[in-house]
Amino acid sequence: MNWPVTIAMRAGRTLLLILCAAAGTTLLVRFAPGFFSDSREMDAKYAPAAQDEMDAEHSQHQTVSQIAIEEARNFLAGGFGMSRQYRVPVAELIGARIPLSALLLARGIIGGWLLAICAALPVSSLRKGGVLCSLPFTVLLAIPTAAMATACILSELGGPVLVLALLVAARDFKFLRSLLEGAWRSPHLLQGRALGLSPRVLVKLHILPNVLPQLCALTTLSIVTALGALVPIEVIFTVPGVGQLAWAAVMNRDLPVLVAVSLLMACVVGFAGMLSMRAPILEAA
Amino acid sequence: MKRRIALIALLLLVVGAVLVLRWSPGGYAAQDRDSTMAPFSAQHWTGTDELGRDRTVRVSAALLIGLAGATAAAALTTAIAGCFGLAAAFSPSWVAALLIFLSDVFLSLPWLFLLMMARSLLPLTASPLDTAVATFVVLAALGWPACARVIYRGALALRSAEWMIQGHACGLRTRQLVRLHLLPHLRSLLLPQFLICVPAFIVAEANLGALGLGVGEPLPSWGSMLLELDNSALLARSHWVYLPIALLIIVLLTLESFATEVETHA
Repeated sequence: MNWPVTIAMRAGRTLLLILCAAAGTTLLVRFAPGFFSDSREMDAKYAPAAQDEMDAEHSQHQTVSQIAIEEARNFLAGGFGMSRQYRVPVAELIGARIPLSALLLARGIIGGWLLAICAALPVSSLRKGGVLCSLPFTVLLAIPTAAMATACILSELGGPVLVLALLVAARDFKFLRSLLEGAWRSPHLLQGRALGLSPRVLVKLHILPNVLPQLCALTTLSIVTALGALVPIEVIFTVPGVGQLAWAAVMNRDLPVLVAVSLLMACVVGFAGMLSMRAPILEAA
Repeated sequence: MKRRIALIALLLLVVGAVLVLRWSPGGYAAQDRDSTMAPFSAQHWTGTDELGRDRTVRVSAALLIGLAGATAAAALTTAIAGCFGLAAAFSPSWVAALLIFLSDVFLSLPWLFLLMMARSLLPLTASPLDTAVATFVVLAALGWPACARVIYRGALALRSAEWMIQGHACGLRTRQLVRLHLLPHLRSLLLPQFLICVPAFIVAEANLGALGLGVGEPLPSWGSMLLELDNSALLARSHWVYLPIALLIIVLLTLESFATEVETHA
């Protein structure tokens, strides 16, 4: 099969996955036992009559089909409806936050990659002491994102970008190290070293071209890792991005915002997944 | 050797936590209102929190709850992943494609976001025990897709093994083949998956707890203990506030090194 067809098929599958993720979010939110829970239930100032009115308000949005039709209508109208929490169009809410989160993600991923590559390249070429050199990254892997972010705030060192970069670096270092170790041990590299080629030439001409397809797959993993960490990082550092909006929507059961954020995240993950396709394309080229 | 050291360290931590809980006079929820936010003392070895609860006892309980919950959730998720992977590997190709697509739908959203969404949708009036159970059940229910993909690939490779073909030729039914031959072969895949899930679930619970979506108070958990780090008054009084995070890192490093060793030798 030629690669344009492969790309078209993968794109179609990604689109289907994104739609299923949105449908799954709707079903999950609608059938969760707490969907009709309202923070006003806990408030003693609301009389039983008011509680009944709240129940009536909930019953207007009861069935999945009603929710699905409303969502589809909003989507076709070019938006995602109104946020139940902020009473503002969802597209407007998310649109204003995307640049901030995208910038944070880009900086965090690039920083993490630089850190991981700079550490993995020399460590992978070591014959002894590799485990000791990898220890900082092993420790970083054992620290929850939220704890790392809190530690940064307490020490007044760095910010959300540093936490995201450290997290991505810790995850990627392990894979990069084993990938590069395999590359360094390959017979043609050994011969190149025996012929006296400098490490710089070996990395540029022999290692990087060979590990490029795997690096593309690793990029996908980095994007997914960074997206997952976006929520705690933005919440703890009070960055008004998509992650913080998602957290607020989750806490307030704001279904239109949740569906829109899920669609956005599924799109990013889906298209990041398509980066891993570079391998067959490169082979075909 | 490394595996043995990790296991002994983990056992020592668990035994220590059990002993601390057994000897504590009031338990993890007992409040000493005369010594709130107290530093080190003979009565409270690592001080108390803002409600006067003994930190040593709460950290010990958090360790046991986290470890027990994550182990149970990991066992459940490995079982789900095993069933799913085997079902996909031994089904007709269109069923397998459908099942793999289903796991891809779960994987198309970042795990922490999915967890946060599922966990937060529980009723507001749940008891602390219910929130603990719900947190770990949600972890188990959403943690299987990546494991299932690994087990599916492993089972698919074994399906065409010569001994499988011979088993079929000898008249063994698929169920017998799976139980008697395939599962023992898959153990080298299932055990590392289970062991990798345990620290991953502990970290996930800590992250959820730090966002206020983990185990409910007064039950102690890693997540709720990490929330103490937000209290600047507490931080100024005692450095023992850092004990939970230090212990959490030790537990996670021990579990991860144990899992890595098992995976390497499997």
